[in-house]
Amino acid sequence: MNDTERPIAQKSQLAYWIFQLTGWGMITLARFFAGVAVLDLSWPRLGFELLLVNAFGLALSHWLRDFVRRHQWRALPIRKLAWRILIASFVCGAPIGIVTQFTYLSALHDPDSFLREYAPALQFQLALPVAISLEIVNWALVFIIWLAIYFTAIALREHRSAQFKQSELTRALQLAELRLLKSQLNPHFLFNALNTVRSLIADNPARAQNAVTRLAKTLRYTLTSPQDELVTLSQELDIVADYLELESMRFEDRLRIEIQVPDDAAGVHIPVMLLQTLVENAIKHGIAELPAGGLLRVAATVQNELLMLDVENPRPPATVRTAREGVGLQNARDRLRLLFGARASLELDLSKPDVATARLCIPVNP
Amino acid sequence: MKAMIIDDEPPARRELRRLLTGFPWVEIVGEAGNIDQAAEMVETLTPELLFLDIQMPGGSGFDLLTRLEDVPQVIFTTAYDEHAVRAFKVDALDYLLKPIEPARLAEALGRVRSAQAARTPQPGAALEQIFVRDGSRCWFVPLREVRLLSSEGNYIRLSWGKTQPLLGRALAALEQRLDPNRFFRANRRQIINLDFIESVELGVNGRLHAQLRDGPEVEISRRQARLFKTKMSI
Repeated sequence: MNDTERPIAQKSQLAYWIFQLTGWGMITLARFFAGVAVLDLSWPRLGFELLLVNAFGLALSHWLRDFVRRHQWRALPIRKLAWRILIASFVCGAPIGIVTQFTYLSALHDPDSFLREYAPALQFQLALPVAISLEIVNWALVFIIWLAIYFTAIALREHRSAQFKQSELTRALQLAELRLLKSQLNPHFLFNALNTVRSLIADNPARAQNAVTRLAKTLRYTLTSPQDELVTLSQELDIVADYLELESMRFEDRLRIEIQVPDDAAGVHIPVMLLQTLVENAIKHGIAELPAGGLLRVAATVQNELLMLDVENPRPPATVRTAREGVGLQNARDRLRLLFGARASLELDLSKPDVATARLCIPVNP
Repeated sequence: MKAMIIDDEPPARRELRRLLTGFPWVEIVGEAGNIDQAAEMVETLTPELLFLDIQMPGGSGFDLLTRLEDVPQVIFTTAYDEHAVRAFKVDALDYLLKPIEPARLAEALGRVRSAQAARTPQPGAALEQIFVRDGSRCWFVPLREVRLLSSEGNYIRLSWGKTQPLLGRALAALEQRLDPNRFFRANRRQIINLDFIESVELGVNGRLHAQLRDGPEVEISRRQARLFKTKMSI
């Protein structure tokens, strides 16, 4: 049990004892007044015996709760639970019923005395076994009601906590979706692009218009492509070109681009946004980190029914790749595995000190 | 007021330059695209204000500030850098988000101007604030609030409020730039702020023990104790 659960448990514990004492207290009082007023019994002895018997009842019900908890009755289907409730009620009703029969209290249920008072004509004597059975049934009813209330309360509480958990889950899911969207949108790129556009509006209005169109295309592609969709390499290259055009407006001569994609590679299907992610990474961790910038190279070849796609960028010396940097790559790898299983791969080659190459390998016929 | 723009993206620099034409009292004396170039230019051009991008190739804007001996006033500019901005929660700084809102720029410049009026402008004068980065936290530390500077190898541990940030400089070099009316060399390793002295007690061998407010007791060496007595005329 952790700290946040403790107050709830304490609260339900308190509620349980209030319920117990009120319930048994009410039975005791009702019988006491019935005994004194209707049957005209001696009240000190009746009171004493009632307290004793009902304390026994309370103890039995408390033990019953313990038993029910230990045997996980709350997890049972309703039919199995109903049977168990019935049996348990009689098991608990028996001892207390027998005890009651041999006390002064039996007068409360003694048809003899009752009938003598109200219907003298129907007066008859009950045999002892019948009287005891009636007493047991009577007490069993009390326990059935007790258990019914107990399980209703538990069901209500579980329902409420399930609802709470459900809403928590929905919230967590929404947050995760939002985070994914944010990572796809690449806010750093977006705000810098907007700043570039603002600058271009004064410098070169025609170029600014061009930039806005390309930015819109990039955003639409990012936002509307489902994660599991496949597109041809040439379709993806279209959007990569738009993106790179925007980045060259930002970096100007620091970014040089070389793209080599032969015709046989252009038609191969690849997961949507995959090349885009690799190119974004190449800019973010390569070009943007170098004062002089450098050459970003995208090269594709088809060999043995496999598309090999290289994205190469210069990188600052001794780059420490932190966990945060690896998220995009890891996500790309996960998607590849889901779509192609073991037949596709994505490796980041850092064997050269100043170059990083992302090497993607995808089957031509999935 | 002499200002410099430091940003790795040419369009961003042009845009800021254009925005600043509305403030003729701000004179742009130079532009730099990375921090090496910027560090050099700041030394020679001695600008009073930096417009400083945070994410740049070869080192961040924070890296530049830790390198500078004399830190001018700074307005950070960043497109999207929630981590960097979060690391910086000191009111002493201003940052503008790109694309820059002209109204926010005017506000920031207004604050710079009033801060400038309160500052002593002579170059080479005593340092008033230093930029400190310790781990992921950054501060502009006003030196008059520093109780104690302790040498730790090539670093200086500052006792400032509840924090004790580490500064990447040697104590001897910084000492030259401290206000001699406020700071006093207590011993080989420590410089104390006289404003924070609560009491001074006589120790053995002519040493003194100075108790600093909110801070430790510092021993003043025998040689320095004589100087201290003259200075405080006791």
